[in-house]
Parts: sequence; C-alpha cells; structure tokens
Amino acid sequence: MLQTDFVPVAIDQAYQRRQKDREGEFYREIALQGPRHDFEGSTTQGFYAATNSGTLLFYNNNRDPDKLADLMVEALEKAASEKKSAVPISMEAPDPQYNPEPPEAGLVVRVHSKILHGYPETKDRWKKIFQEGIGRDNFWITGPEHEELVSGRVPATLQRRMVRFHFVDNTRGEPPMWEPGEIVSLSMELNDGILNGEVELRTAKGDRSYSAQLYGVVETKGEKVTRFDVVARGLFEGHGEYTKGPPPGKFPLAISFSLADGSDIADRIPPQGSRGWVENYLQ
Amino acid sequence: MLPFLSAIYAGLLLSVFSPASSQDPQPLTRDDFDLLHSAVQPDASELWRQIPWGISLLEGQQRAVEEGKPIFLWAMDGHPLGCT
Repeated sequence: MLQTDFVPVAIDQAYQRRQKDREGEFYREIALQGPRHDFEGSTTQGFYAATNSGTLLFYNNNRDPDKLADLMVEALEKAASEKKSAVPISMEAPDPQYNPEPPEAGLVVRVHSKILHGYPETKDRWKKIFQEGIGRDNFWITGPEHEELVSGRVPATLQRRMVRFHFVDNTRGEPPMWEPGEIVSLSMELNDGILNGEVELRTAKGDRSYSAQLYGVVETKGEKVTRFDVVARGLFEGHGEYTKGPPPGKFPLAISFSLADGSDIADRIPPQGSRGWVENYLQ
Repeated sequence: MLPFLSAIYAGLLLSVFSPASSQDPQPLTRDDFDLLHSAVQPDASELWRQIPWGISLLEGQQRAVEEGKPIFLWAMDGHPLGCT
C-alpha cells in the first residue's frame, strides 16, 4: 500500500512542529486534528495519514503492522470520499533554523553503529528487533576540514565532532551526545592514507562511557576526498533516557563511516546532533 | 559459502567482534577493519527500505495532489531514516 496507494513521507517531527514556514504550517494543520498537538511542549510523533488537502484520516502510534494496515485500508476509503479539492503548496521562505544544508565544499559521511554482542537471549519479537538494530546518522565535514584531510591531516574540529556526536549508541533510539568535557582522551593520525586513533569518553558521573580504537582508509583524488571508510570498535557502557535496555555492563559497540554518494535519500538528512543548532554541531 | 569456509569466517568475525578488556584495548588491524566495516552496514534489502520515502512534507503534498493520493506520514523524534 505504501508503495502504490499513498505518498510516503518520513520526518523528524521535532523540526516540523516548530518550523516557521509552509512545511511547518501544513504539518501542524494535520497534527492539530490528532491527539498530540502541544507543539512547543512535547512530541507529536506517530503515524499519520492525511488527504492531500490536509484532512487527517488517522493518527496511530502503535507499531503493530496488522493494526496499521487495517487503518490504512480505512484511510483509503475515507480519502476516496473526500470532497475538498487540493492545490499544491509551494515552499516559500524556508525557516533556516530547520532547513540546514550540508557545508559548502564539505563532505557527507554515512554513519552506522551496531552492538556486536552482549544481549541476553530473547524470543521477544520487539526486543530482538532492537537487539539486532543498526543505528544510522550522517556526519558533516566542513569545507576547510575537507581541505585539511586532502593535505593528510585530521583537524581537531573534525575529531571532536566525530566523537561527540557520532560515537554514541543510537541502536535503540535517540542517544545523548557527549559534552566537550566528557572527552577524556582523543587522538587521530593520518599516515599514507591510513587513519589510526583512539578515544576515551566518559561522563563525570561515570554512568556512561566508550573506549574505542579507530582504523580507517582515506583516499583522495586531486582536491577531493574520494574514500573515507573508518571503523571504531570498543566497549560502551550505559544508556540515555531514550536508549534504555542495553546489554548489561560493558558491551562491544562498532561504528562505521563511509562517504555518502547521494544515491540514498537519507543522505540529505541533517545529523541528529545538529538538530536546532547546526552552528554548535559544526564548530 | 562452503561450510568449512563459513566456519572460518564466523570464527574471524567472533574474534573481531570481541575487543579485549577495557584495560587493554587492542589496536585494530587492516583485517579487523575489512571485516567490521562490511559487517556494520545496513541490509539494503530490508522491507522498509523498499518504500520510496520522501523527506519533505510539502514535496509529498505536491506529489499527492498530482497523483490523487493521500499522504502517509511517519513522524518520529529523530529522523526515521537517519536515527535508528
């Protein structure tokens, strides 16, 4: 049904419920008809179906696929009887705070994370999904940092951004990022296209930590980086408010980085760590 | 893959997936890198990735008008395609 009968759209509603432009207005128009419409105070997350004129057909936040499929069938019937005609809404003056673009002359790098083992065995379908999940994000490298990489150096700003915002356990939900003071030690070196490094991250309370080794291959052609394949592997401990249920104690977490080629629509998504304050992410 | 080779591969993965203790983390080798980098990649054949998701609600609305379809909106905290 999603491939043929609906136009499927995926969003981080933390943007749309706040953004001051036509995209935000249209989202709030739909969400306002549902049960979650405290746009400043709390989440409006869930599944929505709406007519192309913005009439809500259903709201649901249940992950049971059978229930969702039933609601979608009903929604198609309701949509067929819709009388209201719709006109395309064009984006005018997009809110810059919620429409960040990748840095000019920079790089977009895909990031994936996986817990390698350590979970107790389970037959619970939903727990198993989380246990086997792969975290995803994008890492933005600025134009000047790109130039430094081409020259064979790994700038400190890139190193800090990489570990603060991407050496996280995002396999079960939105993770807490690392504060600058939580970088206990960090080093990365690039020699003949091979990146080596190590990092230790720890909260002041000691309730969350990650100690990892890095290895990567960085290739350049002319003035451009053409390969940025990096892996980090280490032991992670702890969780955040939205990432509860990790394996007990310290567990192995691996994180991989690869240049995005723009072939995946997810390459256009801003880094999770840049939400609402891209300047802070890029500094 | 032949069972024999499969067992060797599984053994290699297990050693790569088991970092030494936190007191003595072992540096990664080129072989570790090759195995880990390919192992920590999403499966492109996952069903939810076969859906032609858009990431702009207005672009979706424009397409929905053009094609006479309703919109299905997956709205999460953290981008569904970019955070988990």
